[in-house]
Amino acid sequence: MAKVEYDDVWRQFVGQERPAVAGLTLDIADGEFLVLLGPSGCGKTTALRMLAGLEHPDRGDIRVDGRSVVGLEPKDRDVALVFQSYALYPHMSVRDNIRYPLRVRGLSSADQERRVTRAAELLRIEHLLPRRPGQLSGGEQQRVALARAIVREPRVYLMDEPLSNLDAKLRTHTRTELKALQQQLGVTTIFVTHDQAEAMTMADRIAVLDAGHLQQLGAPDDVYQHPANLFVAQFIGSPPMNVLAAQREDGGLVVAGGWRIPLPRLRDTGATTLTVGLRPEAISLTDDGHPAEVLVSEPLGSEVIVNVKLGDALVKVRTGPDVRPQAGDHVRLRADPAGVRVFDRDTGVALA
Amino acid sequence: MTAIGPQAQIQVAVPPRTRPLAGGSRLEFVLMHAAFLAIAAFFLAPFVWLFTAAFDAHAQAYIRWPEQLTLDNFVQIFERYAFATALQNSLFVAVSTMLLTVCVVSLAGYSLSRIELRHKAWITYAILLLQTMPLSATMVPIYGLARELGLRNSYLGLILIHSAIELPFLVWLMKGFFDSVPRHLEEAAWLDGRTKFRALFEIVLPVARPGIAVAAGLSFLSAWAEVLMVLILVDQQGMKTIPLAFYETFRTAGGYTEVQYGLVAAMGVLYVLPVMAVFFATRRLMVRGLMASTRGL
Repeated sequence: MAKVEYDDVWRQFVGQERPAVAGLTLDIADGEFLVLLGPSGCGKTTALRMLAGLEHPDRGDIRVDGRSVVGLEPKDRDVALVFQSYALYPHMSVRDNIRYPLRVRGLSSADQERRVTRAAELLRIEHLLPRRPGQLSGGEQQRVALARAIVREPRVYLMDEPLSNLDAKLRTHTRTELKALQQQLGVTTIFVTHDQAEAMTMADRIAVLDAGHLQQLGAPDDVYQHPANLFVAQFIGSPPMNVLAAQREDGGLVVAGGWRIPLPRLRDTGATTLTVGLRPEAISLTDDGHPAEVLVSEPLGSEVIVNVKLGDALVKVRTGPDVRPQAGDHVRLRADPAGVRVFDRDTGVALA
Repeated sequence: MTAIGPQAQIQVAVPPRTRPLAGGSRLEFVLMHAAFLAIAAFFLAPFVWLFTAAFDAHAQAYIRWPEQLTLDNFVQIFERYAFATALQNSLFVAVSTMLLTVCVVSLAGYSLSRIELRHKAWITYAILLLQTMPLSATMVPIYGLARELGLRNSYLGLILIHSAIELPFLVWLMKGFFDSVPRHLEEAAWLDGRTKFRALFEIVLPVARPGIAVAAGLSFLSAWAEVLMVLILVDQQGMKTIPLAFYETFRTAGGYTEVQYGLVAAMGVLYVLPVMAVFFATRRLMVRGLMASTRGL
């Protein structure tokens, strides 16, 4: 178990215009489940690989338990990495795959056997031990890869999109299991994903990255409710936050279609052009709100996403399952004052 | 035929026979097959001659069934023409060449595949350029060098030269194989605690085994069959390899006018057999490797 620190870490690849990771500073607590979240090319995998020793930072320091690991070979860092491709050794049986890191460490064969059995039991793959990786399904391979990481009892687990090759149902299932496993083992885990739902459900804290820069670091609720900027606001949440250009008028805000919504207290009143962000659940359909026309309703069973036309903008509203307005219906919208987020349109920074 | 039980089911599964040349007339069918047979006979004839003449006490320069099957030719080449020495020399040189080549091309191919080098594209093209050079153009300098370095009439000289002939192509081939081994595999091994060198031996090389089989097979065959460089580098009786023994037997046993075809054929049979043995021993790996070399592992 260990505490991990990134201290102003930079990494630029040859032939690239901008750095893959730019000035990343991040403290990860002992036993924490931290998710690095962002679109492809945001630098999340590079950040992970630098901790593993598979890439080298141009500048900055990475410390595990206060000791710099930058000069160490991957083999000396005592971290385990679960690859997106699983990277199981195809010429070895599942048993030998899981045993490999123990054999490398020169454990007695009785010890090896005991730990392999325990890891296999934990992941319920005892029956797969004699097989070759090529004979396993994607989900089974994923479990073997996890077992190979767990069996070592490393200081830190690193996971590079380990769920993205699984089908949707298995992915949701494994998500839950992985989170439970991490809580049981209590080992510091850094998990890379581009899937915001994975991040929201599994993380103790989420670090959102874009174009090599850390955008926001916080608990899932915090990141969801109070995004630090427009990028985070639109990257997290499904459907994403409604974003509308707004004018300030008589102490309120006017957005597309002339809809007046309450203006929250702004941190910085200097911004001239504003953007309003409203989560789909921060808007409700009422009797006395602003009139709008329904474009289409998307029933999802437990809820309905109603798409309404507001001037030339499209707004998504989350409602209960029994509300089913039809296309062309006229509805009235009301914004929850506590759910109104305001951003500086030029910089994207959150003002409220 | 009466079929019962599972056999009956198997018969059902067999698709109806289609005529190989659907729509053609009977004459067309006969003519096509006659042509195929003629071509096949043309290419097979030398082998038929080889295997009949070797067991014929009075072999001729044409195919004939031996009047009496005999092993006398084989006995003679060992007793009178020191074929055992030639066989030993050839085997030793070919196997050593194979071992050296496999070591070198594995490491070189891996390096070109994985290590970031300045001007790597130029280096790899330069290696390919070497392959395109006609061997005979280098005959004189190789002779001179070998003489200066004392590598004439030595196993080492033959092994080095034979390896060098095949190296450029096989380095390229192995680079291709290593390119198709996912990097994540060796990265996983490093993180599992292995040094880069041991990860290469324990993870990457076993995965690239079909490629290594191809490199081993091709280098053995090329060293086994090489004539030109042996001709230049060897003139001592005890150092001769099979192609030279062949040539000499052809020349001396009876002279050009009265060639002892039976002896030559017996040598030919023993020359061909190891090649076939190597092929059959490694055929599955070779086929997998050759297929993979064109489309990745």
